[in-house]
Amino acid sequence: MGMSDDEIKAAMIEKATKAPKPQLYVKDFYKCDPESKPRKIKNLANDLVKQGELMFWSSGSTTMYARPDRIKDEEGDEGVN
Amino acid sequence: MAKHDTPLLDELEKGPWPSFVTDIKRQAEKNPDCWDILGQLELSFRDKITHWKHGGIVGVFGYGGGIVGRYSDVPDRFPGVEHFHTVRVNQPASKYYSTENLRQLMDLWEKHGSGMTNMHGSTGDIVLLGCRTEALEPFFWDLTHEMGQDLGGSGSNLRTPANCLGQSRCEWSCYDTEEACHHLTMHYQDEIHRPAFPYKFKFKFSGCPNDCVAALARSDFAVIGTWRDDIRIDQAAVKEYVAGNIVSGGGAHAGRDWGAFDIQKEVIDLCPTECMWMEGDELKIDNSECTRCMHCINVMPRALRPGAQQGASICVGAKAPILDGAQFATLIIPFIEVSAENEFENVIDVIENIWDWWMEVGKNRERVGETMQRVGLPTFIKVMGLEPIPQHVREPRSNPYVFWAEEEVEGGFDRDVDEFRKRHAA
Ligand code: HEM
Ligand code: HEM
Ligand code: SF4
Ligand code: SF4
Repeated sequence: MGMSDDEIKAAMIEKATKAPKPQLYVKDFYKCDPESKPRKIKNLANDLVKQGELMFWSSGSTTMYARPDRIKDEEGDEGVN
Repeated sequence: MAKHDTPLLDELEKGPWPSFVTDIKRQAEKNPDCWDILGQLELSFRDKITHWKHGGIVGVFGYGGGIVGRYSDVPDRFPGVEHFHTVRVNQPASKYYSTENLRQLMDLWEKHGSGMTNMHGSTGDIVLLGCRTEALEPFFWDLTHEMGQDLGGSGSNLRTPANCLGQSRCEWSCYDTEEACHHLTMHYQDEIHRPAFPYKFKFKFSGCPNDCVAALARSDFAVIGTWRDDIRIDQAAVKEYVAGNIVSGGGAHAGRDWGAFDIQKEVIDLCPTECMWMEGDELKIDNSECTRCMHCINVMPRALRPGAQQGASICVGAKAPILDGAQFATLIIPFIEVSAENEFENVIDVIENIWDWWMEVGKNRERVGETMQRVGLPTFIKVMGLEPIPQHVREPRSNPYVFWAEEEVEGGFDRDVDEFRKRHAA
């Protein structure tokens, strides 16, 4: 039996919370469930953004995902808002 | 009145060509914030370093793209550009505008943003330069609700698709580029508005090999119109061209007297595959050698036309120089039917085949063309489920080894070693 969507999402949140860098590429989440197709992981990541569990972080050319609380901490230092 | 002294930038107003400095000064008379663009750029010229900060998390609710965050790192000195986000607006197919639409868009942008634009970005979008974070949502509301227009793609999204004007005005278009572009734009709304890939991905649609949207050079997935039967020839019109009764090239290059039209010199000798000749006063083409370069058709449009069995070639993997150098797309599928009747189903199949593979195998920030280069074309063609054809080969082989896949070898790689040793003692 494969993982349910909620189980995968929980693993993704955990990964985004514990990863050394706050911003993750979508590929970094693939390992949360190696059985899921990348496009499914992408959809779950965008779902988590909708739910407020993750947020987008973009350089303009690449988009990454992060836990909102970890990004706000960073921004306090840099004064970006 | 200029707010900052900009002696270095002022140099860029000299000379007979258009100057972005003059443009920005003109806009600054209307919107004083724009003086700070010039002030900050002058400072950058002096400091020899940019004062723009990249990146961040600006956007509008529900979207993960369309807005590119930019901030000044010296906002105290240049408050007008403290936030200077770029907004990408999906251009209409073929870039057809009414003046009414453009005026409305500019009014909206002067209300919410700097009024500065870049028409168009290299992806094709209308690029609106310079907006504060708090103005993004109101702008987006007006754009979508009052104008019925939408943002385009940025970041790791599918980027705003673009097309040549195709059958709306051009007799050479081998499929309906506008319909294809519009249909796929609507079909992939999720991929355009939210990140979907390890990096950007672009579609472009040209109706014939003249490739007026430069799909071959600028898109990961280029759909370029072509035909698979023979160039259609009207021999009577050929005679008219030869006699000088029809002006060649549709009257292009007419600014100067180039002398009488010479079909041998201007058409036949310039055919890249040397597949044309005259037999008496009849023009002949060996269509099996024709590479569909469009040259002869461009010169004699009333005598020659693309064939009647029309479709497109699909080329994959163009990109700009950021990592490994620029590259054109590689021909992958020489002919595919492109039709609204089956909702572009066969094109969509090819696209999703590529995506499934590239999302898995591509590295972070690797364009599909770079992934193809890394694994090699033979591997990519296998992934696409295609038989190799001569058109896939760029140059004669320089590697003497032949690698067989197990399924290509009769009996596979397992063999009875004892049986073999009976004949060949160790
Ligand atoms: C010395 C100054 C700058 C450098 C070296 C620079 C460098 C770059 C590079 C390397 C990229 C491609 C990034 C990537 O593919 O990861 C890029 C993209 C971009 N930059 Fe800059 N940049 C500079 C200044 C600016 C400024 C002043 C602005 C606007 C205020 C700006 C707006 C953009 C935009 C809109 C993109 C495209 C993002 C996309 O493709 O989605 N850049 N820049
Ligand atoms: C000497 C000054 C400049 C030169 C020579 C220049 C040249 C160019 C060129 C050649 C392109 C590619 C255009 C295309 O292929 O469609 C480009 C794109 C762009 N320029 Fe400039 N530019 C200048 C100043 C600026 C300034 C002052 C800004 C912003 C205030 C700006 C913002 C942009 C942006 C955002 C793009 C990317 C559009 C896209 O994403 O496709 N540029 N520029
Ligand atoms: S690419 Fe071909 S079909 Fe499209 S506008 Fe140009 S010449 Fe016409
Ligand atoms: S289209 Fe190009 S290759 Fe084909 S016959 Fe004409 S000139 Fe030759």
